[in-house]
Formats: sequence, C-alpha cells, structure tokens
Amino acid sequence: MTELGLNVPALISYLINYVVLLILLGALAYRPLLNALDSRVDSIRESLAAADRAREEAATSRSAIEEELNEARREGQRLVEQAREAAERFREDEMERARQSAEEFSERARADIARERDAAVNEVRAAFGDLAISAAERIIRRSVDRQAHQELIDQVLAEGEQALRRN
Amino acid sequence: MTTKRVLLLIGVVSAVLLIVGFVVGAVGSRMFGLERPFVSQPGIHLPPDPVFPAAIRESVVGYRVAEKKTEDQGEAKSDDGTADGKDDAKEEHHGLGLMQFAVTNTMLSAWLTSIIMLVFFIGGARNPKVIPNRLQALVEMLFELVLNFASSILGPEMGRRAFPVVATIFFFVLFNAWLAIFLIPIYQAVGYGANVGGEFKLATHLVRPAGTDLNFPLALALVSFVFVEYWGFRAHGFGYLKKFFAFGDLLRGRPSGLINIFVGILELVSELVRIVSFTFRLFGNMTAGEILVVMITFLVPFIATQFVFGLELLVGLIQSVIFAGLTLVFLSVAVSHEEH
Repeated sequence: MTELGLNVPALISYLINYVVLLILLGALAYRPLLNALDSRVDSIRESLAAADRAREEAATSRSAIEEELNEARREGQRLVEQAREAAERFREDEMERARQSAEEFSERARADIARERDAAVNEVRAAFGDLAISAAERIIRRSVDRQAHQELIDQVLAEGEQALRRN
Repeated sequence: MTTKRVLLLIGVVSAVLLIVGFVVGAVGSRMFGLERPFVSQPGIHLPPDPVFPAAIRESVVGYRVAEKKTEDQGEAKSDDGTADGKDDAKEEHHGLGLMQFAVTNTMLSAWLTSIIMLVFFIGGARNPKVIPNRLQALVEMLFELVLNFASSILGPEMGRRAFPVVATIFFFVLFNAWLAIFLIPIYQAVGYGANVGGEFKLATHLVRPAGTDLNFPLALALVSFVFVEYWGFRAHGFGYLKKFFAFGDLLRGRPSGLINIFVGILELVSELVRIVSFTFRLFGNMTAGEILVVMITFLVPFIATQFVFGLELLVGLIQSVIFAGLTLVFLSVAVSHEEH
C-alpha cells in the first residue's frame, strides 16, 4: 500500500486538518450564517404577516368607511324625503287654507249679495207699495175702506213680486 | 467592433499557440526532428513527495535523479533489452514508509486550501447582515445549496444536523480540486530543483493537489464512515447492530434466519467497502486528472491544456458532489427505520 502513498502520519494529519476545519467553520461560519439565514426567514415571514395584517386592516377600514358613507347617504335621502313630505304637506295645507278662505270669502260675498238683494227688494217693495197706494189714491180719489185697500195692495204686490221673480 | 477584434485576436493567438504547441510538443518534436520537446517528459509518482524535513526531501530527490539517470541509460541501451523488470518494480518505490512522518506537498496543498476556505467562509459569515454584501451573499448561496441538497435527502431537521460535516467534506474536496487549477502556475512550476544529467530540473513540487494523495480521500472516507455509523447508533441504539448480525430469527428457531445472517454479512461488508470505494473514487479521479494535465502539457503545451482544465473543474465539482451526496445517502439509510 505504500506504493500508493499510504502513510499513517499523513492520514492522521488530514483527519486533524478536517476536524480543525470543521470546528472553525462550524463555529465561525456555519452557525452565524445559518442563524442569520433563519432570522432573515423569520423577519421575512413576520413582515409578510404584517403586510397581510395591514392589508386586512385597510380592507376592513375601507368597508367601514363605505358603510358610513352608505349610512350618510341613506340619512341624507331620508332627510330629503322628509323635507319633500313636509313641503308637500305644507303645500296641501296652504292650498286647503286658501280654498277655505276663498270659499269663506265667496260665501260671505254671496250672503252679502243676498242680503243686499233682499234689502233692495224690500226697499223696492216698500217704495212700490207706497207708490202704488199713492198712485191708486190719486187715480180713484175716493176713500175706500182700509181692508179693501190692503187686499188690493197685497194682490198687486204679489203680482209685482211674481213679475220680479220671473225677471 | 472592438469586442469582435479582441475575440478575433484571441482566436488567432490561440490557433498560433496550438500549432506552435503541437510542433514543440512531444509528438511534433519527434515528427519535425527537434532535439527534444519543449516540456520534458514528466515522471508520474503516485505517493506524494515529502517537502519537510529537508533531509527526507533530499533523499527522495536524490533517488529521483538517480532514477532519471538510469532511465536515460536504459533508454540508451534499450537495444540490449536486458532491463530487469523485477528490479525496477522493487526500486520504483522510494517514498515514505508507512509510519514515517514528513510534511508532504499534498499536505501543504491541503493547508493552503484550509486557509483559503477559512478566510473565504469566515469572511463571508462574519457579522452577517440582513441585507448581505457580495461575499456574504455568495457564501450564503453556497451554504444554501449544500443545505438544500442535504435537506432534500434527509429532510429539513436531519439535513440541518448533517450540514456541518457534509458541507466541510464538500467544500474541502471542491476547493482542493479547484485550487490546483486556479493556482496552476504555483502547483505546476514551483518546487525544488535538482541537477539531472547536467541540467537543472524541477524534481519535486512544493504543492500538489491533496486529492492525489491517497491519505486525503481515506481520511474523508473515515470521517464519512464514522459520521454515518454514529448516527446509525444514535437513531437505533445498539439495535443498529442487528442489521449486520441478524441472529434473531435463527435463535427463534426459524430456518430463514440463515438468509438473514448472510444478508447481514453482506451489509457489513458493503458498509466497510464504502471506505475503500470512497477513497479510490476520489483518489483515482483526482490523480487521473492531474496525470491528464501533465501529459497534455507534455504532448501539446500552451493552449491545449485549457480544455483539460475545464474538464478538471467539472470533475472536481462532480467528485465533491458525489462524496457529499453519498455520505448523505448512506446517512439516510443508516437513520431510516426499516420495516421487516
């Protein structure tokens, strides 16, 4: 085997060489760097999780804002609706009131007209009666009893009133 | 335009170097009747050369010079055909004895690799930042490659536990192989010279890739073996031995137990043979690569070796992946709970 170069001290020297290399690299290269790799993996995982959380929070807050906006929109619509209803009610009330006052006014006017007409009719009737009596007195120039006179007058008046009504 | 010109220039220079290399190389020099090739014939020595202490180095160098002389003489007298093969075989080996200690050029290479690895990895892993600088990013990428490889075979938890041992094996093999290619001038041209036949020549290299030293892959194979068996015992307790010494069924009076005993012996042998296969796979590949580089340099110097370097980069990577990968696979077999 020595022809191939087998040599026990050399073998031991290589073994020692390997072990020294293993210990030095293990302590000064493998461990620190693998730990660094692990911590990097952890930090990447954490930051990804944090990003996820932030995204979720953003999503929830956005939905909350949208909810509030919808709420506000609904509130606004309700207010507008209320205002419209109130305005409608107010308009109807006002129209009702206007109609009533107009009716009252026309009622009053009609009553006034009726009263005026009655007064005018009475006035005309009185004047016509007096006129008729005086006219009759003047025409016949004779005294007749009061009873006959009155009947005659009433008859004339009734005729006159009928004529007036027809007109 | 300029890029095209530069590429063209590189192409022309490469072609010229290739032709010149071919002409002055071993084949061309014989063909064109040159006195001798540009690169002298390399000597292949499987055992690594001792560098320190100087006395051992001198004796090896001295032997090699003498060897060279006899070779030359042998070549001169080749017509006689009297060269005794047996004697040659006996004398061929003049390296270190089994227990003799010397610092070899492969050991120096392993130390150099270790220092570069330590500087590179510790430099990249020192004060790790969340946002890494370039070196840290590179080292992280390499670590994650190996870690993912280990996790894919063993699962995340066990992969993490096996990572230090496997990663050290992987990077040690890889850096060893690649360093010899990236520092090719140092590896191929720096060494101790000697006067051979009135000519000053490189007799031993100062550094030589550790993979070409049988002891290096053997050491890693032992590490891998011990690591696997340790985890086997840790996962199964002493029940792990049942896999190899399966007497249970026979003691219960079942004749099929004989087969189990035989299978157990096979398991034991295959477990032990792994050390050998680990060792010689890496040793063979690295040594063959080195010999290929040397031979191509001898045959067609200058540019042709570039292709071999590319090949060697690939081989180095593949061997380190195989070494680490097989360790992981054996580990996963050892810790898995087999169901009978």
